[in-house]
Parts: sequence; structure tokens; C-alpha cells
Amino acid sequence: MSDTVRDMVRVTDPIERISHWLLAGSCLFCLFTGLGFMFRTWGFIPSLLGGLYALKWMHIFSGVVFGFALVHAYTMWRKDCAFEPDDAQWIKQGGGYLWKTSSLPPVYKYNAGQKLFFWFVVVFGVLIVLTGLVMWNPLAFPVAVARWSYALHALSALVIGSFFVVHLYLGTIGNPGTFQAMTTGWCSRAWCETHCPRWLADHYKKPE
Amino acid sequence: MKKTEYIKLIDTTRCTACRGCQVACKQWNEMPASRTRNFGSYQNPPDLQWNTWTLIRFQEYADKNGDFKWLFRKDGCMHCTEAACIKVCPSGALYHTDYGTVALNRSACIGCKACVSACPFDIPRYNQATDKIYKCDLCYTRLHEGQKPACVLSCPTGAITIGEKKAMIEAAYNRVAKLDGKATVYGDKFVGGTHVMYILSENPAAYDKLPSNPKVPASVILWKNLFKPFTLIGMGAVAGMAALHYLIKGPHEVHEKKEGGEHDV
Repeated sequence: MSDTVRDMVRVTDPIERISHWLLAGSCLFCLFTGLGFMFRTWGFIPSLLGGLYALKWMHIFSGVVFGFALVHAYTMWRKDCAFEPDDAQWIKQGGGYLWKTSSLPPVYKYNAGQKLFFWFVVVFGVLIVLTGLVMWNPLAFPVAVARWSYALHALSALVIGSFFVVHLYLGTIGNPGTFQAMTTGWCSRAWCETHCPRWLADHYKKPE
Repeated sequence: MKKTEYIKLIDTTRCTACRGCQVACKQWNEMPASRTRNFGSYQNPPDLQWNTWTLIRFQEYADKNGDFKWLFRKDGCMHCTEAACIKVCPSGALYHTDYGTVALNRSACIGCKACVSACPFDIPRYNQATDKIYKCDLCYTRLHEGQKPACVLSCPTGAITIGEKKAMIEAAYNRVAKLDGKATVYGDKFVGGTHVMYILSENPAAYDKLPSNPKVPASVILWKNLFKPFTLIGMGAVAGMAALHYLIKGPHEVHEKKEGGEHDV
């Protein structure tokens, strides 16, 4: 679908946007409540949400939502995020974000950085959900499994939390015109030519 | 000001396994009994429970020479100085008292069960009905009033004593010097020193469910000393780099034509 009057292109469908925000919302809520458990001095977090006991159940509930959203996002985006040979070149050039570089290999739907983010979220997301399930009932598992679950849960939170900050920057002020991809779903044709030229050529004809 | 650190010394060579301490503990802490099944031992209940904070373990043991012995050990919280349970507790429900012991503010406990797997001695027990953790607090309220813990008071043979830390460690070594060669002191050499110590008649390895070299698990140290601070350092560093990128390189603006050779982004 394209809007020739405003020269806009629809880059995401509603299911993609709902899935994205379900994943992002539950992830951020888990991160926020998780920091409330991690840092005892941050008492404002449990205070805001009705105390640590309430926080425990909210964290678990939100984690379950995250788990389902993750499975959905994985099945929906894994093809778009499969790596291709040109991705190595894109990474070598830092995506053109970090230093002056020659033209980047043209991107299909998602660039190599976005793909990397996706796969990091999938791998550490699965890890954080599985270890979270163990931590929900650690007495049902061998003690070594329970012990390492806590450590790996914290490691996954560290990785996902740090990548989230990159994602937030690049999805908003770092790339003007991008945020709409996850709100209205419409981005300008020029934006598509910059960020996903091969996908644009495949799906939409330039208006005569 | 820090009050006197106490140590409870359990002399297994004087224990007759009368289980008076088990009963006294239940009585003072108002813990009910649970129905159990006989599994071929006088040890009852079979293990520590949310409502059994101390337990006499009955162990049939044959040493290298084939000498048969019955080993009795009063199990319960060891009150570590480097307490893994306190390190992992998110609510501060588990805490060190002025006596160096590990007490539990149950109203703050959220039943997360992190302490259960963190404990190198497998002591904390979870009660599903209350969604909270239970364990020995070395009768904190009694110590506070200048009283001995219930188990100490109940012991008819003097196997359980309590006193100031230094004096008790000294007493432990004096007692072991009078016993035969196998007897050992257990508790002062690891996890910063425990506030419950044993005089064991055999090598520690001979006892069931007693770790020879207990320590705060490596997973707990990685989690709390590395991953925890790096969650903030990582997210903060990335946010700082993003801010710098915005100030130095500026946002990545959209361009109409890509086929223009070199371009500054």
C-alpha cells in the first residue's frame, strides 16, 4: 500500500506494530520492576507499584506476556532478519553511523544492525524467560540449575537492557522519520530509499 | 555500636540425640508439627521443614577400620558472616543482627525463594501457604533480652552452648585437643566464620549434608558483584555513547538518492 498524495509508504502492518509494542512494553516493564529487585536502595520502584510483593507478581506476569510476545515476534520477523552475505560488509562499515564511509550495500527490509538486535533479543529473551521460569519455582530444579538461573537471568537483563538503549536512540532521534514505522506504520518514500531500498523496489513502483 | 558477636557451639561428641532442642525450638517459635512417615530412622521429620528449623540428623556410619558409629548432628542455620542468603535477598528481609547472626524479618519477605538455592548449607525453607521463607534466627528476641536460645536452654548434656565469639572458638579448640585425633572444629575457616560451630567427632566429609568447604556460590558472586553493577554501567555507557553520537555526528538524515558514491552520514 502506498499513498501517492503524500508520497508515503506503509512499512509495517498492524499485527507487526501490536506485536512490537507488546514485546517492548512487557520488556520495559520487566526491566523497570527487575531493577526494583536488583537495587534495594531504589525503593521508589516498589513504592510506585504497591510494594515488593506486588512487584514480584507483576514482574512474573509481565515476563509471561514477554515470553508469548517473543515467540510471536520470532515467527513473524525471523525471515526478514535472516542474515545475508552483504550484512558482513554493512557491519564492517559500521552501518555508516560511526565514520565517513563509501556507499553501504543496499538493505532489504532490515539492516544488519537491526538483525543483530533482533537475534540478541531472541537469544537472550529465550534465556531470560527460561531462567525466569526456573526462578519462579526454583525448588523444582536441581540446585545448580536454580543457582545459575539467577546469574544468567541478570546477564540477559544486562544485555537486553543495553541493546534496548541503542534501539531507543536509533529508532527515535538518531534516525528522524523512523519512529512512525511503529506508530502509524507510514514512512516517507525517501526514508525507504535510505533505509530499505531493495524492499521498496520489490514492493512499490515509483509514482509516474 | 556493634554488640557482642555470639557463637553457638554444638559439641556432637556430647549429643545423645534426645531431640530436646528440636522440641524446644518448635515450642518457643510456636511452630506446628507435620505428619511424617517412618523411613527407617529415628530422624524425624526426615529433613528440615518450614516449621522445623533445627533437626537432629541420625546417621549410621562405618569408618575405615569398620568401626560402626551412630553420628548425631543438630542441623540448622549456621549464621554465616558472608551470608549468601543476605546477598541475594531483594527485600532486606534477611539481615545481620548486632550479634552477627542472620535474622529474618518475615513481614518483609516476598517469597522469591532466591535464598533457598543460594544457601551453601541448604537451610531456608519455603511455605507455600504463607508464600514466605522460614529458618532459625538463633532466637533473636531471646538474645535481645539476655536469654539463651531455646535449644541451648533445653540441652540436658551441655552439648549446645553459647557465648562471646572469641571465647567460644577458644573453647572449641580446647575441647578438640582433649578428644581423639579425628575430632575437628567446624565453622571458623569459611564464609567469614559461622556463628554456629560444631565440634565433630569425625572428619566433616563423614557427615551427611555437611559441606566440607562451604562458600558463597560462584553464581551468586557473578550475579551480585559483576552483572548487577554492569546493568547500570552498561545501560549508562550506551546512553552516554548515544548522546555523544547525537552531538558529534548528529542524526542520520534521510537522503533521496543513494547512488552518489561517497556520502557523509
